[in-house]
Amino acid sequence: MGEFLRWFRARRRVTENVASADVLSACFEAAPQAILVVSREGRIVLANARTEQMFGYTRDEILGRELEMLLPHRFRTAHSHHRGDYFAHPRVRTMGSGMELAGRRKDGSEFPVEIGLASVNTKTGPLAFGMVSDITERKKAADELQRVNEELRRSSAEVEQFAHVASHDLQEPLRMVTNYLQLIERRYNDLLDDDGREFIRYAVDGAIRMKALIADLLDFSRAGTGAAHFVRVATLDIVQDALANLKAAIDESHAQISLDLLPAVVVDPVLFTQVFQNLIANAIKFQRNSSPKIHISASREGKEWIFSIRDNGIGIEARHLDRIFRIFERLHSSQEYSGSGIGLAITRKIVERHGGRIWVESQPGIGSTFFFSISAEMESANAARVGSPA
Amino acid sequence: MSQRKTLPQNPVEILLVEDNPGDIRLIQEAFKEGGVCSHLNIARDGEQALAFLRREGSFIRSPRPAFILLDLNLPRKDGREVLAEIKKDKALRQIPVVILSTSTASEDVRRAYDLHANCYVPKPLDVEKLVQLSKSLEEFWLSTAILPA
Repeated sequence: MGEFLRWFRARRRVTENVASADVLSACFEAAPQAILVVSREGRIVLANARTEQMFGYTRDEILGRELEMLLPHRFRTAHSHHRGDYFAHPRVRTMGSGMELAGRRKDGSEFPVEIGLASVNTKTGPLAFGMVSDITERKKAADELQRVNEELRRSSAEVEQFAHVASHDLQEPLRMVTNYLQLIERRYNDLLDDDGREFIRYAVDGAIRMKALIADLLDFSRAGTGAAHFVRVATLDIVQDALANLKAAIDESHAQISLDLLPAVVVDPVLFTQVFQNLIANAIKFQRNSSPKIHISASREGKEWIFSIRDNGIGIEARHLDRIFRIFERLHSSQEYSGSGIGLAITRKIVERHGGRIWVESQPGIGSTFFFSISAEMESANAARVGSPA
Repeated sequence: MSQRKTLPQNPVEILLVEDNPGDIRLIQEAFKEGGVCSHLNIARDGEQALAFLRREGSFIRSPRPAFILLDLNLPRKDGREVLAEIKKDKALRQIPVVILSTSTASEDVRRAYDLHANCYVPKPLDVEKLVQLSKSLEEFWLSTAILPA
């Protein structure tokens, strides 16, 4: 303690108003980090209470001894060289940045540390301070995060792969079913009675529907993989493309569509068109009798644009709101409303691929409003990173 | 269509290399409806196909086909290997090989042509188109095109 307090007392005149040696010494003792003061020769001249807890030595056991005793053997030689360098060019810095540093307890166990370095000149020579944090918990959390991330990436890659393979392999037997039913129809139509023809018709219908489901599954797996090309586009152009693709449905339903001013965003234009197309198509489809009125707008909220597509359709009951974005979820029979229940799942996947979220607010009998967010600050380069699959 | 040559009178031999019995029967039926003048010989895997073409073992009396319909995914020796061996073989490589596959993946198509496939045809998804295909394959390879005698 002697060296340090002598230095403290020398500074006392300057610091008296702010902090007495007692106060500083109390701070030193109470610090959450282990603080070690080391002489040029590498001997520990001072250590605080936390040092005892962290390394398992009493101060009596370490004071006056070489600092390297607190390091794993493999670091000791290198560390004594670095210490020499540090005294030659002292400055405040973090030790061994980018390296995995470790401390060694009295019982020989090791733990990961982060060390801040500083130095001071005293009458009897320079002293170095090492401020040591035990980062076991932080490292554990970071490792766990990385592990979970990798697992997630792997399992989502497996799901994509599965969807792709399953849909390809499912096509084969289905082709057999369809083809042979068609062959029976061609060859034996005259031999069949009405029942027979009806049975075949149901079987063919089933096969056709299954073929559509498989095609949807393929679309769904493609929406999450493959290269996306992110560029800055005017949302108005995107919406106009979507409307052009839906021209037949719009004309037939006499839908009235109004637009607010829409911003420019960085998106994959093909995928983004699909988002609007799916949401507008749903707004047209889920109608009772009146002609659809659809309003599309956008508002800025913080770093995001929130797009909304509001309709006057049948609405969705609150208890179903979560289900509608899941794959192959349908709230209605295919007699009431056609479709396989893939549209919103694909839409959600595309929005999430752009780093956004999608949700819906609805009142049954009055209408629904679908919202989705797109980053307003995404630049083309960043966007590519967000969007590229693992 | 008046200048089209008449199709040969005697049945023309075709070799179909296909492992799925459902597909074999389907193609046979399609040729029965659409084709008029061909006889389909069947090989169920790549090794059988090459034995048939080289008249090995029990295939000693097998005819030389006018063209070959080759599936890509076959047990034992797959379609690509069969194709490569045919096109390496001086005695066999003049026989046109038509790849008949469910895959439309560009990689599969490119590889087949790299291996000197004479043409690549996706398997039609319905019977009507399959009948059409059998008709047009016969017409093209047996009538429009001239093959070495």
